[in-house]
Amino acid sequence: MKQKVLKTTLFIVLCLAGVVTVLPFVWMVLSSFKTNGEIESLEQSLIPLAPTLDNYLNLQSNFDFLRYFANSILIAVLVTVIVVYTSCICGYVLGKYQFKGKNLIFGIVMMTMMVPWSVTIIPRYTMFVKAGLLDSYLSLILPVMFSGFGIFMMKQNMEGIPDELIEAARLDGANEFQIFHQLVFPLCKNGISAIAIFQFLWVWEDYLWPYLMMDSENKQLLAVGLTLFNGRYSTDYGGLFAATAISILPVIIVYVIFQKRFIAGVAAGAVKG
Amino acid sequence: MIVILTCSLTACAGSGDNNAGKETGTKDTEADKGLPVMGDQITYDPNHLVNDGNPITIDWWVWASEEMFRSIADAYEEIHPNVAINIINNPWDGYFTKLPLSLQKGEEGPTLFNIHNSYENLLMNYIEPYDIDTKEFIADYPSAASHVKDGKIYYADYGMSTGMVYYNKKLWKEAGLTEEDIPVTWEEFIEIAKKLTKFDEDGKMTRAGFNYNNYFHAIALGLNYQFGENMFSEDGRVSQVDGVGMKKAVSLLTDLFEKYHVGDKDFGTDCEQSFYQEQSAMVFVWGFFVNNLKTNYPDLEYGTFEIPTPEHDTPYAYYRYNGEATPGINKNASAAQKEVGQDFMRFFFANDEIQIMLSREGGLIPAKEALMESEELKDTPIVRTVGPHIDRYIWPGAMPSTLENNMKIAGEDILYNGKAPDKALKNAAGIIDVDLANTDFTASENLYQYYEK
Amino acid sequence: MRNREEKGMFKRRPLQSKSEVWMRNIVMGILVVYMAVFLIIPVIMVIAGSFHQWNPLNETYNWIGIENYVRMFSYPTFWQSMLNTVIFCVFVVFFRVTIGLAVAYALNSKMTRFKTFFRTVFYMPTVTPLVAVAYVWKIMYNPQFGLIDKIFGLDINWLFDSKFALPALMLMTVWKDFGYAVILFLSGLLSLPADCYESASLDGADAWQTFRYITLPLLKPTMLFVVVTSIISYLQAYVPVLVMTKGGPGTSTYLSSYLVYDQAFKQYNFGYASAISLFILVLTAAFTVISFKVTGNKDE
Repeated sequence: MKQKVLKTTLFIVLCLAGVVTVLPFVWMVLSSFKTNGEIESLEQSLIPLAPTLDNYLNLQSNFDFLRYFANSILIAVLVTVIVVYTSCICGYVLGKYQFKGKNLIFGIVMMTMMVPWSVTIIPRYTMFVKAGLLDSYLSLILPVMFSGFGIFMMKQNMEGIPDELIEAARLDGANEFQIFHQLVFPLCKNGISAIAIFQFLWVWEDYLWPYLMMDSENKQLLAVGLTLFNGRYSTDYGGLFAATAISILPVIIVYVIFQKRFIAGVAAGAVKG
Repeated sequence: MIVILTCSLTACAGSGDNNAGKETGTKDTEADKGLPVMGDQITYDPNHLVNDGNPITIDWWVWASEEMFRSIADAYEEIHPNVAINIINNPWDGYFTKLPLSLQKGEEGPTLFNIHNSYENLLMNYIEPYDIDTKEFIADYPSAASHVKDGKIYYADYGMSTGMVYYNKKLWKEAGLTEEDIPVTWEEFIEIAKKLTKFDEDGKMTRAGFNYNNYFHAIALGLNYQFGENMFSEDGRVSQVDGVGMKKAVSLLTDLFEKYHVGDKDFGTDCEQSFYQEQSAMVFVWGFFVNNLKTNYPDLEYGTFEIPTPEHDTPYAYYRYNGEATPGINKNASAAQKEVGQDFMRFFFANDEIQIMLSREGGLIPAKEALMESEELKDTPIVRTVGPHIDRYIWPGAMPSTLENNMKIAGEDILYNGKAPDKALKNAAGIIDVDLANTDFTASENLYQYYEK
Repeated sequence: MRNREEKGMFKRRPLQSKSEVWMRNIVMGILVVYMAVFLIIPVIMVIAGSFHQWNPLNETYNWIGIENYVRMFSYPTFWQSMLNTVIFCVFVVFFRVTIGLAVAYALNSKMTRFKTFFRTVFYMPTVTPLVAVAYVWKIMYNPQFGLIDKIFGLDINWLFDSKFALPALMLMTVWKDFGYAVILFLSGLLSLPADCYESASLDGADAWQTFRYITLPLLKPTMLFVVVTSIISYLQAYVPVLVMTKGGPGTSTYLSSYLVYDQAFKQYNFGYASAISLFILVLTAAFTVISFKVTGNKDE
């Protein structure tokens, strides 16, 4: 009996939490089908009284939405791929090798995770402007190629790979690059999933740096593009809702697909201390 | 595989469309276009080749009204088909964060850029003076006199903007009001506003008679003139934001909400939006409102009247005005780009059609004085409402943004954080004066016809 | 880092083959260069810059000694923003951790169904761009037509009432980020050894005791990770302020990183902004060390 009560309580609590989590999304998506007048009226109803597809239809014509979307996907995928690779290889060297200065380097990498963006952004800004890289995608890629977080996770992940496997490969005559690329890297699927999702998300929603660096409208990223809905004189709420609704879709899809691996990867990486 | 794919995608995207400075496009070979010379004192003869007729592209940065500026660019491109003008729209919020850096880029940056005079100090280092005779300039555009630096004009105004009270005609009729009820004094105004305010059974406000949320600071700055006090000291270097005049102005505004309840600080947090939604019957906003209404809410019937005053007699000044600044030319652009920029600006100043359109669309009083009498402009809301008294509006000068920013904070502190007005204003004055001391701003109040210390 | 050799793994031996040396040199070499260029040099530039009047627009870079620091410490808004930041950080981290842990525990329990569904639902806010979330919540907080006042029948002007403005920002942040904590704690719970629980129930421990004396201590590494990454992240929060309140009403919702943004990219006072950002760095380091001490680990 006690089991059943507990079970139902848990379920109810989870459902409540779920509703609270999802309500803003539901409201946002429903509102994306309302006109701006209806969104701002004193009398509100959840379901649109005069549903319209205009917000979605106007997205492309008013804001070149698809272009921002594509740009963001491009940069996010590129950076994620690079960070996954560098995190794995650094994690391998720091995790599996023993050499003088290893702990020092790892310590410094960890400490750099603590440095707030507000400290590095001013000098980086000056550096990139002087180097003439303003408005170039290089400015979005170069500063983020290595991630302390990623290195940390992968180093932990590497602990889970038996040293015997690696020693055996060495005895077989394989060199380190082969060992890493053909043996170790494929074994890290879980860790890679974890880093990939975190990194992708982080690039996907990064606002300030792309905002400062990118000038040309056709190179702009989505997170910055969304702020265009907030014009000087009025805010196009309906458009903003429609754009947001669409921009969450790919990430949710990716997440749903990779969920199990992602959680296992996080477990292997972040959780073992 | 993925790597190859992404690399090729980067290559595609990387070869961006930034054409500034590049030479693609049509070549112009017809110097004589058979077009008439335009302009009065400043003249523009379109019958010449720009950049020797070679194709050239320039960028023009704006923060709003892209279509309006596009039409001006199109008119120029029609005369000079070898010139391509790229309009780049950067939203206001970050416009002045990004502009100075882009200007440093020289040839790859904008050649033309819209200016707001409250950011003059950030931009002065980058502006090239106009290649137009100063005397001719002032003859056509009298307000340019206040922009002369070392005998040259770096930027001027194309129109004057100021505030008016906009009222919703439908809601007026509903309250039984007519044209004759248009108020002249604040007392009359309050009576009208009360009639337009609505509450529901629980005493909650459902319609504001007058709303100034998000605009408090913009109104307060300038309202002080009605109480006989200037915004700046005699030497024009120190603000008087904590002076008697401003205190009275602030007190008047807060009383409207807290004493007379014609509006509420928590109702309609953005007065312009609130007016669009017909949840506020009257708002006091500046010129551009006309364009917004026309573009976004063309069915809203509205009227305008002048800002009320304390008494029936003429006040020291009604309020302040500000000039809508003309585009500046980038000092760091290439010689060819600058040539095009200068030619374009002369066209801009000489062409009456363009000036009329700018004033009409922007709800402005034209800076080219002669145009105030023109058919198209003499009946626009602002010319009709404010025109007759325009000599009683003061231009404080190119007030740096610190004044608006800190008055906004003071206003919010007074209304929302319950801070004592005297303290809030003193605080604001302190910060403003430190910031002013770091610029070389000097107020232009002494240019006012009826200036008194 | 703890000594892994205790776990009976293969003893690490120093690099032997040439190939290993190459690998280490190249990888570590690039890593060190990268860190030097993008992290260490910037920090040095900022430290130097904080002693100068630095405006990149008119190329000023003049030594003014500690004037920036004096100005910073005597600026009431600075102190207010620091206080706001600490309050923001403490509350959001606390709620993120407790809600995250509670939900993760519920999801992990054998008695729960539809696990995948719930896991997706709770993570949805986290995968939405913060800028978008901030705009949506800004509208939700509107007193005339926002969702929150309508649903609860309230009449609060959230973002303009200094009592509620900062809490409003905190609520939004917790909503957005608790999913991250859920995932991390879930992973932690999944990797707990099952035999601990068996022996606990054999000993007659009830659910609460099991949780308190077995689960919680075993989750310490995860807890530490979540807390430290959360602290680092929230001490730097600025997007909610940028989008929703711009520091208002008055200056009551200024957060320290927003102050840096405002001084650096609106007023172009790079020197002054550098001083403020260094203070944030020190604060972050301090908090990180404190977290390590409190959870009983040696610091890095």
